[in-house]
Amino acid sequence: MSIHQALLGGTAPVGEILLADTAIRIELPPSKHKLAVDRYSAVRSHIERPDSPLFDRVAYFYPQGSMAIGATIQSRKRGDGYDIDIIAELLVSPTLSPAGVLDLLFEAINGPKGSRYHGMVERQTRCVTVYYEDGMHLDITPSSLIDALDPRRSHIFHAKPEEPAAQHRRLVVNCWAFCEWFNARTPADIDFAKAYGTRAMTFDAALLAKDASVKEVPAHSTEEGGKSTAVVALQLLKRNRNIRYAPRKDQRMPPSVMMANFAAQTAMPGTSISGALDVLSGAILAALEAAEGRGQLIDVENPKCKGERFTDRWPENRAAQRTYIEDLRIFRKQLAGLMSENYTLAQKRDLLVAMFGEGPADTVVKDYAARLGRSISTGARGTAPSGRVIPAAAATGVISSPALAQPRGHTFYGSKWPGS
Amino acid sequence: MRRLWPQLDLIKQTGDFAAWEGPLVGIERAHTVQIAMGLPRDGDAPMFRRFPVVRVLSPALVPNWDAPEEAPLPHVFFDYDDLPMSPLCLFDLEKDEWSHRDFLARTTGPWTTDWLACYEGWQATGYWYGGGRHAGSTPT
Repeated sequence: MSIHQALLGGTAPVGEILLADTAIRIELPPSKHKLAVDRYSAVRSHIERPDSPLFDRVAYFYPQGSMAIGATIQSRKRGDGYDIDIIAELLVSPTLSPAGVLDLLFEAINGPKGSRYHGMVERQTRCVTVYYEDGMHLDITPSSLIDALDPRRSHIFHAKPEEPAAQHRRLVVNCWAFCEWFNARTPADIDFAKAYGTRAMTFDAALLAKDASVKEVPAHSTEEGGKSTAVVALQLLKRNRNIRYAPRKDQRMPPSVMMANFAAQTAMPGTSISGALDVLSGAILAALEAAEGRGQLIDVENPKCKGERFTDRWPENRAAQRTYIEDLRIFRKQLAGLMSENYTLAQKRDLLVAMFGEGPADTVVKDYAARLGRSISTGARGTAPSGRVIPAAAATGVISSPALAQPRGHTFYGSKWPGS
Repeated sequence: MRRLWPQLDLIKQTGDFAAWEGPLVGIERAHTVQIAMGLPRDGDAPMFRRFPVVRVLSPALVPNWDAPEEAPLPHVFFDYDDLPMSPLCLFDLEKDEWSHRDFLARTTGPWTTDWLACYEGWQATGYWYGGGRHAGSTPT
């Protein structure tokens, strides 16, 4: 039985089950994915409306970053929100300044008073952000194609309003090619996609039942849950980074795209989530330690775009680099504990809280304990030779295995503590 | 017992009594347990002659006085002198769930691992998800 079939059935190591369920709770669920798709379509239409300053000047509009590689998680700043990254490839004059391009996009989206997005929009250093009441926000980065024969190799624009114009600049990027490269290197493993997708859809159905404002169910939502363990590992490591940096006000975080680059480079089909996390965190740590050992800052370039530096804004200095080195060392110790058979569920709960935050960790552990308990109270569980109790869903699938017995039901009994 | 639970050592055996010790797993962490069982005798028999007595030896049970459910320990016969050594309550004494004709390896063994799994869940969450009932109450 593969680790992925085991995950579907619940016979995988407990740490693996807890990691999968944590990832499902922090990622963009299929229903929210559809909502995000609807929203960016609506924003595009709005930018191109006849009275917009960008009417007929949006050449291409596409998701980038985590949205394009299926690795979106709840944002750092808003625990219940999601950051959706989009590139708006514009047909603008090459003489227009970086600030001019960003201001133009801001004006196009913000629109006149009373229009759809007015007051929901903020101009950032490299993008324009649209905020929604439910915590989701779209970061729309304007770009300009450099060469029509080199698709999507573009300039993006850096213009911090409080900085002098001399420091404003154009940066060469190719987000499109990077995402294509990433997706080609991290194909969904069929077994894993099925196991993970089933769990994700179960959770999404529960979420939809709670959130009446989300009306639509995506047509192919099970496919949205299908992904490789490398992507799930990336989501979990990003979540851990967000948790570690939450109290470090004003400190830049290691960039997601740098982490994604390592995830694609180290992806291997058939790996478990914990295995992929071990490899990914180990690869980033090794690269950071090597740079630190040379007395340098890590330098990661887009493998599909010469000159695009993923580490151009982080680490700012060696101290920032060392901070994340230490984070990764701690994370790898915690991961080993989570996968150890010598830790109790309570100890694993504490580790999960430290690694991914209290919210998802508590829910995941409670759900796991409840599933296990229900299987026992209904007598629908199997017992492995070690005694390990296998919950109902797994037991029904593998009950014919001689390694698993299905003992008869019983009712826990006992006395109550006096006065309770 | 040796065939189904080879990890349990027979530590004492007389004509009408036997006890085993060894590791059992509920979720993943092994707990060393002791199972003691004697044949029934007339009169006011001790607990181990009425049903198998199971105790967790290590890691010791940890009472949780703040647990929302089942404080300080779930589904045990309280040993007021030594709480962590309280015997586990694995079946309903008022139903026909167990008799001296049953094999311990097919009842007490797996029921103990059921209890250990639920105990770990209770330790982690404060809630007992394994169902059951207390003397004088209806099942949950």
